[in-house]
Amino acid sequence: MSDQPVTSLSEPRLASGWGAATGSWLPAVILLLATVMVWEAVVRIFAISAFIIPAPSEIAQSLVAQWPTLLQATLVTAGEILFGFVVSVLVGIAIALVIVRFDWLGRALYPLVVLFQNVPKVALAPIFILWFGYGLAPKIGLILVIAFFPVTLSMLAGMQSVDRSLLSLMNSVGASRTQILFRIRVPHSLPNLMAGTKIAATLSVIGAIVGEFAGASDGLGYVIQFASTQLDTALVFAALLLVSVLGIAFYYAAEVLERIMVPWAPKFSGA
Amino acid sequence: MRIEPIRAAGGRPAHIRHDDDLISAKGVSVVMARQLILQNIDLAIPKGSFVSLIGPSGCGKSTLLKVLAGLVDPTSGSVAIAGLSPVEAARKRMIGLVFQDANLLPWKNAVDNASMLLSIADKSLSRAKLKARGQEMLELVGLGDSAHKRPHELSGGMRQRVAIARALALEPAVLLMDEPFGALDAITRDQMGQSLLEIWQRTGKTIVLVTHSIDEAIHLSRHVHVLGIKPGRITESLDVDLPYPRDLSVTEDPAFVRLTVQLRTMLRAGHQPGAAS
Repeated sequence: MSDQPVTSLSEPRLASGWGAATGSWLPAVILLLATVMVWEAVVRIFAISAFIIPAPSEIAQSLVAQWPTLLQATLVTAGEILFGFVVSVLVGIAIALVIVRFDWLGRALYPLVVLFQNVPKVALAPIFILWFGYGLAPKIGLILVIAFFPVTLSMLAGMQSVDRSLLSLMNSVGASRTQILFRIRVPHSLPNLMAGTKIAATLSVIGAIVGEFAGASDGLGYVIQFASTQLDTALVFAALLLVSVLGIAFYYAAEVLERIMVPWAPKFSGA
Repeated sequence: MRIEPIRAAGGRPAHIRHDDDLISAKGVSVVMARQLILQNIDLAIPKGSFVSLIGPSGCGKSTLLKVLAGLVDPTSGSVAIAGLSPVEAARKRMIGLVFQDANLLPWKNAVDNASMLLSIADKSLSRAKLKARGQEMLELVGLGDSAHKRPHELSGGMRQRVAIARALALEPAVLLMDEPFGALDAITRDQMGQSLLEIWQRTGKTIVLVTHSIDEAIHLSRHVHVLGIKPGRITESLDVDLPYPRDLSVTEDPAFVRLTVQLRTMLRAGHQPGAAS
């Protein structure tokens, strides 16, 4: 389905199209530029040392000077995030499906999943390094434990919010639980699932950086740690900037995915 | 014009012959959460008739419809639809259900929504056959040219027409409708009622309509059963002896007005908790 409203009956879309976006972004861009300029001015006027707060120009210089290293680290971290995100979403969906499809297993699993949510995941990082070494595996593991939960929870909420009378209709023609699950509950849950997926995308970035902090020889998290031990604060900020860019990129990738997966979304804006 | 509403103490107009009854309920009571929702309901619905169940909120009329549909088991008493239990009848696609909310699937267009239940009830049908049946049913409800529209592109009345098409696609013997037009505005509601009458006359289905609208009940149905509250029970029954085909001008008929007055009086009497019928 196209992005254009098909008829006048379509609900007005949220201001999320590119056309609306440029207009609504303008104030934010102006504020950002102003902040950068004030930052630069304050650092220069008060002669603040570069290893406390580097000026934006110094960060930019560092970004250019260290570009090959930073690019390589960015690609490593991006790979971890992508891999970890995909695994988190798949595991999150699988857990939600099992909980809804199998009553007894769901009753056993759901409280444990919620309980596990209270474990501070960051504290698991050293254990994962101990178990899985310094490679990709501990980062994926960490992203998984951090990011699967919003996926599971949002999909569960979507699957369980199916109208009772729709279920009555299905039951009256003898639909099986599996049919109700895959023909009604799963597609019905997609808008919720996509909201959870967007949260998971953001959490995946955090998971990857925490994983790299705990033990890595590559990636933006490693660059941040290494640079801070060298008091190269400009490089820390340059790496931070790239982490943010990654975060934004993954968030918008998830949003594009949402638009592909839930083309009937107008229904949920108030119909 | 002759109007001879026949009332019987048991809630069933005396002249209905039992052999012709498509649906019969005998001594149906429902207890839910230790509350008596329905008490000793006797109901006989002749084949091909249009019957309304009317009553105040909380009288259990929706529960009664669910009992007829096999969605709620009566605590005591029994229901037979053409000699079958409601659940058996539903499995044989004899029951079409329409609720107040159309409950269309937003990711499917009108024609696929119309054939959605049929596709589950009869797995042997090909996609082409399902589409053809869906299209046929949409035409029956006056939406033939909206087949490819998704629910969010349809108005409330149109969505409810698709819901009716979805029920009719099963080729049921009986349509059970729970306040199907309750969420629509007055004008749309009148049009939908009129369309339903036309569909009824064209298809010869037996229709049981739950409503709280006095005008709707008399405009559409041949028999009206009045339910009272606390506990929910049939307090009175009214035969609507207005000739079919009826259109909206029937509402200006003096006989129509007399029937609405009569029905309103009956409803008021049933509004007293525990009042004797």
